Amino acid sequence: MELNFVSVEGNSKNYKIALGILGGLTLLGLICFGLSYTKGHYLFGSSNVIPWGMPIVLAIYFIGLSAGSLILSTLVYVFGQEKYKPIGRMAVLLAIALIFGALVAIATDLGRPENFWRLFMFFYWNNMTSMFAINTILYGGYFVISIAYLGIIFSGSKLWMKRWGCLAIGWAAMVHMGTGAIFGFMAAREAWFSPIKPLEFLTAAVTSGVALLIVVLVLTMKFTGRDLKKEMVVSLSRLLIVFICVLALLIFLDKMTHLYAPERAAVLYSLTGKYSWIFWCLQIGLVIIVPLAILFNKKLKSIKWIFIASLSVVVGIFFERFFLVIPQAAFPQQYYPGHIEGVYGAIGSFPITPVEMGMSLGIVTMVGLLFLLGLKFMKALPEKTPEEVAAAAAKTAPPTTEVPVKSDAPASAGT
Amino acid sequence: MARWGMVIDLDKCTGCQECTIACKEENNVPHGSPEEQRRRQDPYWHKVIAASEGEYPTANIEMVPMPCMHCDNPACVQVCPAKATFRRNDGIVMQNFRRCIGCKYCLVACPYGARAYNYKEQEEEEYNRIDPPLRRDLIGCWPFPHRTHGMVEKCTFCFHRIEQALMEGKEIGTEVVPACVEACPAKARKFGDLDDPNSEVSILLSNRDAITLREAMGTKPKVHYLTK
Repeated sequence: MELNFVSVEGNSKNYKIALGILGGLTLLGLICFGLSYTKGHYLFGSSNVIPWGMPIVLAIYFIGLSAGSLILSTLVYVFGQEKYKPIGRMAVLLAIALIFGALVAIATDLGRPENFWRLFMFFYWNNMTSMFAINTILYGGYFVISIAYLGIIFSGSKLWMKRWGCLAIGWAAMVHMGTGAIFGFMAAREAWFSPIKPLEFLTAAVTSGVALLIVVLVLTMKFTGRDLKKEMVVSLSRLLIVFICVLALLIFLDKMTHLYAPERAAVLYSLTGKYSWIFWCLQIGLVIIVPLAILFNKKLKSIKWIFIASLSVVVGIFFERFFLVIPQAAFPQQYYPGHIEGVYGAIGSFPITPVEMGMSLGIVTMVGLLFLLGLKFMKALPEKTPEEVAAAAAKTAPPTTEVPVKSDAPASAGT
Repeated sequence: MARWGMVIDLDKCTGCQECTIACKEENNVPHGSPEEQRRRQDPYWHKVIAASEGEYPTANIEMVPMPCMHCDNPACVQVCPAKATFRRNDGIVMQNFRRCIGCKYCLVACPYGARAYNYKEQEEEEYNRIDPPLRRDLIGCWPFPHRTHGMVEKCTFCFHRIEQALMEGKEIGTEVVPACVEACPAKARKFGDLDDPNSEVSILLSNRDAITLREAMGTKPKVHYLTK
């Protein structure tokens, strides 16, 4: 079956309202970033104990979603799973918007963002033993590769789609394992130090990628009035089950490795201390228990319930990142045997500050904005079937016909 | 080339914090408000921690002054993506403010919490140190004392004193020492060349039981502690 792709027309009221809201919030984020840049990072919650805050949480979350989303799109273009074809382009578009958001998030977390370019002076002004510098190559390359990939998909060359897709899938996996290594290789941070971190990150990335894809798929198809095939969502949800199970296993192994070794204070604190509810309720609950309970329940095999389960995973993975970056860094380091008194032995605190939250919100909405604009200027959505068009025409008085692609729309990439 | 190191006698240390104050004066490290100290957002280059062990009748508190350990195998240098942190040939681990991008990865990697991030624009009025003329061929880019927010700072072993002493031909370790060593009222701290077998630090290390902190990290610190 030949499948044509179209762009959304972008003239409907809902589209414009969404664009306005997202644009406004992005502007708010920009203002917050300006404040933090001029006044300093004391406006954030981070401190010398918990060095990284919300921007880094968002960055690794977005990188995960992006890598997962791109890996998913290769199901279509590399492994020839034709049934996923309607979402292939959208997945790549989403991956690009997300990696851009992640790079922006990292840049906003830097104390001197104007020195960002130094990260790209590979091998010259870069210290290549740093995981962060190695990841700059991975992220930068990933950004370029995924844009080229989208171009190739639009050009429609099957052979190159396959070749470039292979590169993209490998690179995406490396990107996320590299991100895991940023945390997993830090011997000084007991709760992070783990060889399993890269794999855990990769699995979390794919899990959240599938879940996000289901969420975006259902939402986009609903709001643009397209017909969603139930079999596709169900088969995606089966994938989701597999990934969640692997992720659960890896989390279990990671925690057990830390708990078994005698030096377990930091991990024990993170699992039983003041912020452990984030782990048990928001991470384990939302990523593993709720979705599995829904997906294994035969009575709940509808698009609505799968949507809820996926949403729960997407939100839960966010809190997994949050838990990793903030509460797990809060435990003080053991500089000297014994109990360290005073501020140097105190558990770190992380106040939720308005500037940081505003900036984070701005980054999230910026990604949404990019995605919406991408849908308008690129032919990423599958074309409506004649029956759907008829149904839409019957439902709304001024029919929003989207079949004829606007010829005056700015050229989509790769065409 | 010398390999500068420090020896701190825990038996002599009284925990008076004079070293911390001297460091703040010498290097113009901001004091920070109580709120900033509670939130751990104040820059510090030197700290004195108190480690307690045991219960009341047999309780013991050990005061451990902690400058930067100036490791021979520094974790911070390994992770700095921008080459802003580097180890000089004489073993001092330095921070180049012009290169620092403020990613705080070194804060994450340092096992000694020796690094601090500058969270806001600091006042510079208190600064009254007479700097030697900048010898950029010797010390590279060193924009201090001007500090901007958004960068990581750390102890420098008072390298400006060492540079000046080298230029003037004074003996380091006896005539010229870092500010914290100079200020210590109990004479618990010694500074000198670890590679020179006749230096005071080498003699102390060979005669007394010495430890370094968190040896399992493999960082090979150059700040040694003499045990009680």
